[in-house]
Amino acid sequence: MTAAVTMGGPGHHAARMGSAGQLMAVAALALALAAFLSLSIGSTGITLSALPRVIGSLASGHGDAATAREQLVLIDIRLPRLLLGAFVGAALAVAGAMMQGMFRNPLADPGLIGVSSGAALAAVATIALGNSLAAPWTRAFGVYALPVSAFCGGFAATAALVLLVARQGQLATSTLLLAGIALGAFATALTGLIAFASDDRELRDLTLWMLGSLSGASWPKVLAVAPFALIVAFVLPSLTRALNGLLLGEAEAFHLGVDVERVKRLIALTTAAAVGAAVAVAGVVGFVGIVVPHLVRIIAGPDHRVVLPMSALLGAALVLGADVVARMALRPAELPLGVVMAIVGAPIFLHMVVRRGMGGS
Amino acid sequence: MRLSKSPLVSVCLLALALASSVGTPAAAADVVVTDAGGRVVRIADATRILAIGGDVTEIVYALGAGARVVGVDTTSQFPPQALKEKKSVGYMRALSSEGVISVDATLILASERSGPPEVVKTLKATSVPYVEIPDQHSAAGIAAKVRLIARAVGTEAEGERVVAQVEADFKLLAERTARIKKPLRALFVLAVQNGRAVVGGQATSADAILRLAGAENVAAAVNGFRPLPDEALVELAPEAVITMRRSSGSDAHDTTQLLALKGLASTPAAANKRIVTMDGLYLLGFGPRAPAAARELMGQLYPDLAGGDAGATR
Amino acid sequence: MLEARHVSVTAGGNFLLKGVGVAARPGRIVALIGPNGAGKSTLLRVLSGELMPTHGGALLDGRPLAAFSAAELARRRAVVPQASALAFPFTVLEVAMLGITVPGLSPTTSAARAAGIEALAAVGLSALADRLYVHLSGGERQRTHIARALCQIAASAVRADQTRCLLLDEPTSNLDLAHQGLVLEAVRRQASGGTAVLAVMHDLNLAAALADELVLLVGGEIKASGPPRQVLRDGLLSAAYGCPVSPNRTPGGDRPFVLPPAVFFAQPAPAIRLVADAPDPLPAATTA
Repeated sequence: MTAAVTMGGPGHHAARMGSAGQLMAVAALALALAAFLSLSIGSTGITLSALPRVIGSLASGHGDAATAREQLVLIDIRLPRLLLGAFVGAALAVAGAMMQGMFRNPLADPGLIGVSSGAALAAVATIALGNSLAAPWTRAFGVYALPVSAFCGGFAATAALVLLVARQGQLATSTLLLAGIALGAFATALTGLIAFASDDRELRDLTLWMLGSLSGASWPKVLAVAPFALIVAFVLPSLTRALNGLLLGEAEAFHLGVDVERVKRLIALTTAAAVGAAVAVAGVVGFVGIVVPHLVRIIAGPDHRVVLPMSALLGAALVLGADVVARMALRPAELPLGVVMAIVGAPIFLHMVVRRGMGGS
Repeated sequence: MRLSKSPLVSVCLLALALASSVGTPAAAADVVVTDAGGRVVRIADATRILAIGGDVTEIVYALGAGARVVGVDTTSQFPPQALKEKKSVGYMRALSSEGVISVDATLILASERSGPPEVVKTLKATSVPYVEIPDQHSAAGIAAKVRLIARAVGTEAEGERVVAQVEADFKLLAERTARIKKPLRALFVLAVQNGRAVVGGQATSADAILRLAGAENVAAAVNGFRPLPDEALVELAPEAVITMRRSSGSDAHDTTQLLALKGLASTPAAANKRIVTMDGLYLLGFGPRAPAAARELMGQLYPDLAGGDAGATR
Repeated sequence: MLEARHVSVTAGGNFLLKGVGVAARPGRIVALIGPNGAGKSTLLRVLSGELMPTHGGALLDGRPLAAFSAAELARRRAVVPQASALAFPFTVLEVAMLGITVPGLSPTTSAARAAGIEALAAVGLSALADRLYVHLSGGERQRTHIARALCQIAASAVRADQTRCLLLDEPTSNLDLAHQGLVLEAVRRQASGGTAVLAVMHDLNLAAALADELVLLVGGEIKASGPPRQVLRDGLLSAAYGCPVSPNRTPGGDRPFVLPPAVFFAQPAPAIRLVADAPDPLPAATTA
C-alpha cells in the first residue's frame, strides 16, 4: 500500500502523495478496514466469523438462540451503526469541505454559519419538549420526530440566512458569515433557554445527546437518513468545478462560468441536508468537518474533484474508527463519540490555527 | 439456499423469529409480570440478572438475589460490592445496546429512567426479558417496586417481608413526624455549580424525602432541580440546608463550600449551622432504605424529637 | 464586438461611470487609461458581465450581457483580475488549468494539461509549474492568472461570427521589464489570433506600446479616445492627472512616451517652461 504512495518533492514543491486515483484507492481501503473493524469488534466478542451462520439462519428462517443473538448484534446493532457512522462521517466531512470552499477559508465549518446550531436547537426542543409542548409533533412522527426536527432546524437556519442576506440581491460571503454567526448564537441561546425550562431527566438526555453518540443506531434511522444521503451524493459532483472556481474568488468564479448565486444557495442547502441528517442521528460530533478536508488537501491538493469524494471516504473511516474506540474503551459501557472525536480533533485543529497564525499564507 | 441480501428482509425475518418465540406456550416455571410501561413480560430464567438503577440494584440485593446479579450500572452504589464485583454497563441514561447484550443476562431489570430511548427500544425488542421498574417517590411506590422485582426474580415471599419492613418503617416515621408542631423550613442543595446552588424543587425525590422527614420544602415553588441565584436563596430563608455527600471530599469541605455562597450565608440555616450532609443514593434513591433515611434526616432536623434511634435501622 | 453603450454606474449617489461608451473589436487591443479612481476597473467589471450598470448596457455581438448565462459568457471571454488571494494549496499548473474548467468545455485530461503547460510557457512560468501558488511572488501570481485566462481563451468555443474577448486589469503592474515584454507579447498574439482585447493599464508607456486604441477615463467620463499618439497629448494628460505631463516621441519612431513628473522637477527651469507653453484644448470624447 505504501509502496504505491510517492512523496512529492520537499520545500516549495507541492507535496502530492500520489495520483488522485492511487490516493482514492488508499482512502477506500481505509474505509473498508474501518468498516471491517466496526462490524467485527464489540463488547459481546461476536466476530464476523458468525456471519455465515447468521445468513444461513436468515435464509432458512430459523436458528438457535446463539445464532439469534449473533444476528441481533451483527445485523440489528452493528450494521446500522456502521452505516450511520459512515454517513455521519462522510456528511460532516463533505459539508466542511463545501463550507471551506465557499468561504475560501480552510477553518470554516458548518457550525460557523449556524447550520449545526439550527439543527441542534430543533433536536433539543424535540427532546426537551417531546412530552409536553411538542407532544403532537412527537406523536405524529414517532421515532422519526428527532431526525425530522433536526433536518427542519438545519434547513430553517439556512433558509433564514439565505432570505436575510439575499434581500440585498446578492449573497456577500462576509455578510453570510456574520449573519450565520449571529444566527448560530441566537439558536444556541434558545437551546440554553430550553435546557433551563426542561426537567432534570430531560436535561441529562440533552447533555448526553450534545456529546454525540451512535449508540442509538437502528434500521429506522438508517432509512430516515438514506434519502438525504442520496440527495447529497447526487448534488455533489455538480458542485466540484464551481467550488474550484470559488477558491479563486467570487468574481473569478463568475469569470470561469460559475453561476455564483445559484451555486452558493445550492451549497447552503446541501450542507443543511448533510449536517441536519448527521446531527439528527448522532447528536453533535465536532471536528470531522475541519480536520478531514484539511488532511485531504495536504495529501491530495485542493481540487474539489478529489477533495469531496476523498473527504467522504476518510470522514466515514475516521468516525467509524472513533466509534470503535468509543464502544471498546470502557466496555461494556460506552464513551460518547463526540468526546473521542474531540480528543483526536482538537489538537489537529489547534495545530492548524497556530500554523496559520505563525505566518502561513 | 436462498440468501437474503436486503437488510430490511433480515429485519423482517428477525421480527418474525421474535414473534414466533413469543407465541410458543410458556413452560410451567415461566413468570409473567406487567412492568411500569404496561408491557407484559414473560420471564423463563432469572439466574443472570442485569440491574440498572441504584434503587433497583439495592432492592435485588435486599431480596437476597445479589448472587444472581451479573451486571449493574454506575448509579448502583449500594451495596458497595455491587459495582466492585459486577460488570458495569455505564451510566443508566447512556446505555449501549451491545454493551448490555454482552453481559449475557437472562433478565434485565431497568429503572424507567434508563436511556437513551432508542437503546431501550432495541433492548425491549430482544429475546431477553426487559422489565421496566417504576420510580414513584412514595411509600406505595417503593412497595410496588419491591413487589415487581420480587415477582420477576422469583422471591415473592422475601419481597413481602421487605415490603412489610418498609411499611413498618414508614409507620414509625409517620408517628414521629406527627409529633412535629411546626415544620422546619428546609432547602435541599444538590450541588454548587458556577457559584450557584442547584436546589430540589417540587416533583423531585428531594422534595419527597423532605416532606417524609417532616420538613417544609422552601423551594417547592421551583420545578425540578434548578440553579437558583443568591438573591432567591436569601428570599427563601431556609432554617436548614440538606446536601449530598460526595464520594470524595469531606463533609466539612462541602459545608464550607455551601456557606461560601453569599445567598446562603445570611440565612437562618447558616446562622445556626444547620447544614445536614447525607449519602445521595440513601437519601434520594427511594429504595427500601428510604424510610430509614427519612428518619435519620428527621433526627438531624429535630434532634429533640427523634430519640436515640434515629438512623439506627438500615 | 464587446461594447459598452452609454454606461452609467452610481454608488451612494456618486457617478462611478457617466455615459461611457467603448468597443473592443476582434483583433484589436483597447487600453483604458486614467488616474486612480477614474472608473477603469468599474468599466472592466461592467464589460465582464460582473456588474450591472445603473443605466445603459454592455453587449457582446449585439446581445446584452445580462442575457448570457455565466457559462455562456465564460466560453467566450476570459478575465485577468488585478489581485487574487488564494488560501488553498493549488500548484501553479493547477491554477492555470482552472481556466479550462468552464461548464460546457470538457477537454480530455491530457489536452487540458497540454493547454496549461503551453499557457505557462507563454508567460515564462514553465519552471514553476509544480510550485504552490501561495509560495509565489506577486509578479509570478499575476502571470499565473494571465496563463489561466490564456487557457480559457485557448479552450473557448466561438463560431466564426462570434467575438472572443480577453479582459485584463493592470496585467503588468507587478512585473519586471522582461516579464512585461513577455506578457504584452502574449496579449498581442491573442489579438493577432482574432481576440478582442481590453486592458486597464496604469503605465502610459506600456499602454501606448500595446494598444491600438487608448481610452482616457477621468472621473467616470471618457475624456479622449483614439490611437495612442492622439490621446497622449500634453494638455489632455496634464488635465487628467492634475500634474504637468509632457509626452515625447521615440527618436525616429512615432511611439509616444511619458516620463514621470518627478523627472521634470528634478531638472529646474526648461522643463517647467515646456509645460507652460503647451495649452491644448480638450477634444470632445469620441464614442464608438
